[in-house]
Amino acid sequence: MAAVMAVESGQSRLRPFSCELGLLSRPDGRATFLQGVTPSVLAGLYGPVEAKISKELPDRAALEVLLRPKVGLPGVLERSREQLLRQTCEAVVLGALHPRTAITLVLQVLSDASLLSCCLNAACMALLDAGLPLAALFCGVTCALQPDGSVLLDPTARQEQEARAILTFAIGSSERKVLMATTKGSCSVEEMQQCLAAAQGAADTIFQFYRDSVRRRYCKS
Amino acid sequence: MRRRAARRPRPWWGSGAARDLLLLPAQYDEDAEGDGCGSARAERRRGAAVRAGAAALRAGLLVTKCGLLRHRPAGGGAFWVDSQQKRYVPVKGDHVIGIVTAKAGDVFRLDVGGSEPASLSYLAFEGATKRNRPNVQVGDLIYGQFLVANKDMEPEMVCIDSSGKSSGMGIIGQDGFLFKVSLGLIRKLLAPKCEIIQELSQLYPFELVLGMNGRIWVKAKTVQQTLIIVNILEACEYMSAEQRKQALAKLSGNR
Amino acid sequence: TVEPLEYYRRFLKENCRPDGRELGEFRTTTVNIGSITTADGSALVKLGNTTVICGVKAELAAPAADSANKGYIVPNVELPSLCAERFRSGPPGEEAQAASQFIADVIENSQMIVKEDLCIANGKLAWVLYCDIICLDYDGNLLDASVFALLAALKNVQLPLVTINEETGLSEVNLKQKNPLLIRKHPVATSFAVFDDTLLIVDPTAEEEDLATGTVTIVTDEEGRLCSVHKPGGSPLTGAKLQDCITRAITRHKEVKKLIDKVIKSITPK
Repeated sequence: MAAVMAVESGQSRLRPFSCELGLLSRPDGRATFLQGVTPSVLAGLYGPVEAKISKELPDRAALEVLLRPKVGLPGVLERSREQLLRQTCEAVVLGALHPRTAITLVLQVLSDASLLSCCLNAACMALLDAGLPLAALFCGVTCALQPDGSVLLDPTARQEQEARAILTFAIGSSERKVLMATTKGSCSVEEMQQCLAAAQGAADTIFQFYRDSVRRRYCKS
Repeated sequence: MRRRAARRPRPWWGSGAARDLLLLPAQYDEDAEGDGCGSARAERRRGAAVRAGAAALRAGLLVTKCGLLRHRPAGGGAFWVDSQQKRYVPVKGDHVIGIVTAKAGDVFRLDVGGSEPASLSYLAFEGATKRNRPNVQVGDLIYGQFLVANKDMEPEMVCIDSSGKSSGMGIIGQDGFLFKVSLGLIRKLLAPKCEIIQELSQLYPFELVLGMNGRIWVKAKTVQQTLIIVNILEACEYMSAEQRKQALAKLSGNR
Repeated sequence: TVEPLEYYRRFLKENCRPDGRELGEFRTTTVNIGSITTADGSALVKLGNTTVICGVKAELAAPAADSANKGYIVPNVELPSLCAERFRSGPPGEEAQAASQFIADVIENSQMIVKEDLCIANGKLAWVLYCDIICLDYDGNLLDASVFALLAALKNVQLPLVTINEETGLSEVNLKQKNPLLIRKHPVATSFAVFDDTLLIVDPTAEEEDLATGTVTIVTDEEGRLCSVHKPGGSPLTGAKLQDCITRAITRHKEVKKLIDKVIKSITPK
């Protein structure tokens, strides 16, 4: 079951993206995030399951994220992204309801130009699909700062290379606060605030998209 | 048609007025407050999590799962969020099908599909005493209900109700077929006057046990009939009503 | 303490912390340069109890085929089991790898060393700088101390002059003549811990990091530009709170820059 968001791609709009829920049969929560028509990131979530004694936490669920690149073995970059994703998910999942359990989220990168924001969106949809109790939703938005100083949302791979700086934000659904921020390249403080404001605006589109894809799923039955 | 009605627990939620309000996490449930149904007491958590606990942190209720908002006006009013899920989390009072994985002294360990195995004492069967132990082997299927199920303790199951009668619970017999479906389908099947069950019962006679943990046990006269019923039930997750009627018509035509 | 969070909250209500610091105050920072004589550059930084040592070794290598005029900088952060109880010996854990990636990003984003400067002969020879950052004592705020140690160590590096003999094609290393590295920008990291979604405290200790609900690290350079905003999840912050962090980071940058200049000046008449 797929939901497609047809947003005209332009300078300050997001490229068309879509999402498929329920593609894999075994995981408890699964989502595929597609950029245009190319599948970008596949997410599978297992949990809450029994945790290994060495890893279990007495008061909340132990969340683990595994990010697999398209080619090669996971390296230092994947580990650092796993940490970002894990702490973002930990901030929204109500782990206190499932102590001494483990929640595992596995993300497989399918396309070459996969941005961290695709992983974030796929992770959030997988969390929704699995029915885990969440305090808020989040979405990932990438902004690129062009050499001439303009802000470009959701850059393509080519635009990313030409950009002066790339900023990725995870925006929460309650009050549009910043859950996660990471930057590549340097920028001034005003430029960062501009990008943040643009990202918060784009977050509304993505949250509406979540709502539509979930509605299709529930109102179908 | 032979159906053990005693094995089907009566659903408590009735036919919720389809209020078709889709809720996503981190939304405030304004309607519940607006109706003033004493909702702070009245919310039940059936695949739902309209959290009263969160009211301590913020004013109002916080939605924590996505799904449709349902409402039952009877008995003081109850609001809940009907969500679809595959992973079962033990809830007190739920009737489930468990698989015996180990016998540890006086207690059986059952796999119920949750994060921890549940325990079942050998005395929790109808007519069981210290001399008269139930004949339970590893690998048997047990239909029971949760006596204790919260996040801090290991879940405990029993096969008798509060008056000591088994009322359909206990060891499920030999043969038959056990398979897993999503929790939403189970709830649909357990609704009164469920179309799917009625249509299937026109097809062949069969025995059916539905566990709230997503497990279904089916037994019909022959293996082939059993497998046909299993396939139809599994496909009901994705098929619409017309497709199902078509498939059933084809099958009854083939008989 | 039986209820560590309540204990901390009582202090935070009075706008101070158990070790006597204000919410916006840093621990005493000390830096010691050139302690490892076998390395080309080294620095030891102590931020309160957190002790981080950085050693830089320079080696020669052929540049990569697609970037023939660029050298290499390879940072590596190690958290041995010596520094804290929770780190076990064995392959690097997630925290060490994430910290290594962060340091590599800071070097790349701030352009503190331009890789073209490390090239000796186009396509034939270039410098490789191996920067090993080892934490000797972990008491919170690893990223700040690591960035500071890296900056101090790189300022301390003296590279010998290397020429390529035209006739033989071999490289000749002149150990008598040494030049310092050209450091274009001076990035400084400032870390904050978020408590209960609202309170921001600067330079958290290990205890405070465990109790915090989120962390933010801001890296600025001397022109007030942001080299990195690193907020790995944790409680959500508004844009205004982020702006407060950035302002505090810019002030911190000035203090740290003064400290580094003082130390470098004290050892240059060599």
